[in-house]
Amino acid sequence: MAQPVLEFRDVSKRFGAVSAVDHVSFAIAHGEIFTLLGPSGCGKTTTLRLVAGLEEPDDGEILVNGAPMAAPRHNIFVAPDKRQMGMVFQSYAIWPHLTVFENVAFPLRVRGEAESAIRHRVQEVLETVGLAGLDNRGATELSGGQQQRVALARALVYEPSILLLDEPLSNLDAKLREQMRLEIRELQQKLKLTVLYVTHDQDEAMTLSDRIALVHLGRFEQVGTPTEVYETPATPFAAEFLGRTVSFEGKLVKNHSRCWIHLANGAARIALADELAMPFSGGESVRILTRPEDIEILPGGELKQNQLSGRIEQVAYLGDHFEYHVMAAGVSFVLEATKRQRFSAGAEVRLSVDSARFTIRPL
Amino acid sequence: MKSSTAVAAPSNSRFLFRPIRVAEFSLLAFLAVAMGLPLLFLFAGSFNLAPPGKGVVYGLGNWVRAFSDPGTLSALWMSFVLSVVRLIPAMILSVVFAWLIARTDMPGGKFLESFCWIAYFVPDFPLILAWILLLDPNFGFLNTMAQSVPFVDGPLFNPYGFWGIVWVHTSTGGIWFKVMLLVPVFRRLGATLEEAARVSGANTIAMLRRITLPVLAPMILAVSVLSFIRGLQSFNTELLLGTPAGIYVYSTRIYDYLQREPRAYGEATALGSVFLLVLAILLFFYWKYLSGNKKFTVVTGQGYSTLRVKLGRWKYVALGGCLLYITVMMVLPLVFLVVGSFMRRYGFFHIASPFTLNHWKNLLADPIFLLSLKNSLIIATVTGLGSVLLYSAVAYLVVSRRSVVGPLLESLCWIPHVLPGILLGLSVLWLFLATPLRFIFYGTVWGIALALILADSPVATQAFKAGFLQLGADLEEAARVSGASWWSTYRRILLPLLAPIATAVGLMNFGSALTSISTPVLLYSHQSRPLAILLLEYSFTGELERAAALGLLITAIIGSLMIIGRKFGLHLSGSD
Repeated sequence: MAQPVLEFRDVSKRFGAVSAVDHVSFAIAHGEIFTLLGPSGCGKTTTLRLVAGLEEPDDGEILVNGAPMAAPRHNIFVAPDKRQMGMVFQSYAIWPHLTVFENVAFPLRVRGEAESAIRHRVQEVLETVGLAGLDNRGATELSGGQQQRVALARALVYEPSILLLDEPLSNLDAKLREQMRLEIRELQQKLKLTVLYVTHDQDEAMTLSDRIALVHLGRFEQVGTPTEVYETPATPFAAEFLGRTVSFEGKLVKNHSRCWIHLANGAARIALADELAMPFSGGESVRILTRPEDIEILPGGELKQNQLSGRIEQVAYLGDHFEYHVMAAGVSFVLEATKRQRFSAGAEVRLSVDSARFTIRPL
Repeated sequence: MKSSTAVAAPSNSRFLFRPIRVAEFSLLAFLAVAMGLPLLFLFAGSFNLAPPGKGVVYGLGNWVRAFSDPGTLSALWMSFVLSVVRLIPAMILSVVFAWLIARTDMPGGKFLESFCWIAYFVPDFPLILAWILLLDPNFGFLNTMAQSVPFVDGPLFNPYGFWGIVWVHTSTGGIWFKVMLLVPVFRRLGATLEEAARVSGANTIAMLRRITLPVLAPMILAVSVLSFIRGLQSFNTELLLGTPAGIYVYSTRIYDYLQREPRAYGEATALGSVFLLVLAILLFFYWKYLSGNKKFTVVTGQGYSTLRVKLGRWKYVALGGCLLYITVMMVLPLVFLVVGSFMRRYGFFHIASPFTLNHWKNLLADPIFLLSLKNSLIIATVTGLGSVLLYSAVAYLVVSRRSVVGPLLESLCWIPHVLPGILLGLSVLWLFLATPLRFIFYGTVWGIALALILADSPVATQAFKAGFLQLGADLEEAARVSGASWWSTYRRILLPLLAPIATAVGLMNFGSALTSISTPVLLYSHQSRPLAILLLEYSFTGELERAAALGLLITAIIGSLMIIGRKFGLHLSGSD
């Protein structure tokens, strides 16, 4: 990898007894959208604030383009105004006493740029974010979406080395959120921005990111592309947090190089691909994790390979699809299905699983 | 569980709404009579040439006489000049204090904040006495000390006069309350707005100049205007330090009119009315400013910032400055007040055995003191309880019942906020004199208590309003739905939840009743004289040592009340 734009080396930050950021290391390449995804209070915002210089780390090193920004051991701490960052706050932090133009012009003014250059650059950025013509509005007379654009324009106006976005869409309504998501992605592509994005919304993370870091209790549980973290969750938290999971318990059996899993109460015997069974020697109790969308509901009948019997317990009609509460192998879970097939409560069904997509863990 | 209560509920609630209506209108009528009528009487009285209680003779004579006296206009002018001049250093200092406490890494911020809280409750009169003891040209300690410095002949300091008043105000009312108001504002407002400025590339100075101060400007201006209006109500300092130097403000001028023989009611009411007119005009523009500025809607940043401005080595300089200020302005005068109360003759350190307990013994043995103590306790108790009952009811009607008469009730309760104590006293006096109410209220402790209850209305109403708002209607409605009657809802739910606020309001009003001078000064008689007025009389007759002792006693009572009250309030709220 070329020189990373941002690099964390074993960074820690504590608040009293709570570890907000716990020995975290990562690097972001130029032009990448890197997302910190996690539940509230997991330390993702603190990580972002460490990058901006709004918090000081207790330990470790933070480098931007190879230059140390914070390194407590070497007594280095670069003030936020010297870091050349662009940041969009969750609350937008639009200064209420300034107009749209002056809000956006502020970073250039404090850098002492010439009036004509400021005028030109601010107009350009306002056009980019779609706010042309609103220069003289009082910043607080704007709608939520417009305020969000002002905050974005202000962060972009001096071409920062990194754009920091702290839950920028969480205060917008659903429709606007979707639209802004696309616009941010477009803008990032066009301007080749390096973005550090913080969110608790997995749809946002999945659609926007080049890479996602799943943050839990101040630690990075997994870092990878959206596909990687969804398809092959590295930890139970990763599996639980992203999407829904269904889990069965069973015993892993090996004989003659074939590999099977016997589900807990004899509901089924499932053949397993070799690479999934590799780490096991046979005979262990294991937990199988799979995604509900990888399970198909079929009408009752004779069980074939990789099928188990189940019973529909409840049916919910959600307009565009059905939701079935299913009981199988002693476990109750929810499956979605299209309107093409329809089962009623109490029906005996077969469930077809895709063992290639299992995640298997020893119990 | 008894099911019968639930069955009875529907008819019950209809029945219960009626007494509420009656209560609403009787409360409105009472407040209108107590707050509105006196002002009307005051205004009408200024056109009445006959003394109060006698046959009415209308005419402009009072106004002509009041304004042909050159002292009248100069007194009004002096009120404004004094209030503006002392506002400037006080505002600058409070903004600096609040910023240092809330937004920098200066150590001792917590201590300074609680010190301001305590200092706010120190009554002003003892402090004024303390400054007289320190600065008086004849016996002031600092002047005596200065005598021993070479090349100094004659007194160095003189508290009697314009700058003396400004200085002592900086010590008494000065910055304590403003700091308490501004610290939370600084804490709340700054966070993300300031952080956004830093990330955008502004250093600390640029951030303060371009973001922090402009964003806070409306708040700072609001606090300034409020302080200015409150400053116009000032009486004690001007009376003790201005009158000897021939400096009158309108409040001491009114007092002066009513000390004449016979009392010049006409001139006093004319002057009072003019002042009210000027005040009304001022307030009109203030409110217009506040409501016209939509651009300045306060945008609060989310969360508290942990980022504080690093002062480096300067943080100790800043702390030293703050400590120096509170030492000179509060600790030093209080210490000398204590010393003064034990001195045989104040300022005479060189005589044989300069210290004595006699002033304390004389004070405590003085039958007038004992009578005044009794009066004060009755007045303060009635005021404390009365204001809790009255204003919790007002707030309840305004907030929880969304009463139709609510806005009217509320605006009536705001009147005393801008009405100076001396004018409140004067207008209530006028009401007592001109109506049969005189038999109960004129010159009695009840009259004083009533005036003080009225004076408390803005703060007490706001405190209870905040309390009811915080409770929300849900808690009350949940109790009603659970089958509790209105009365048991009030007793079991509202009262316990509001107990901390009620305790705080009661104690604060008890305290302000003990120390108020300007409100009762026109209303007391020899039989109903409270302690604060006795303190005033001691200082007029030159018994400064005994006055110091009495002042300390009052300060000590207030101090222990505040400490007990905080504990009591905390205990009741169950937060410990």
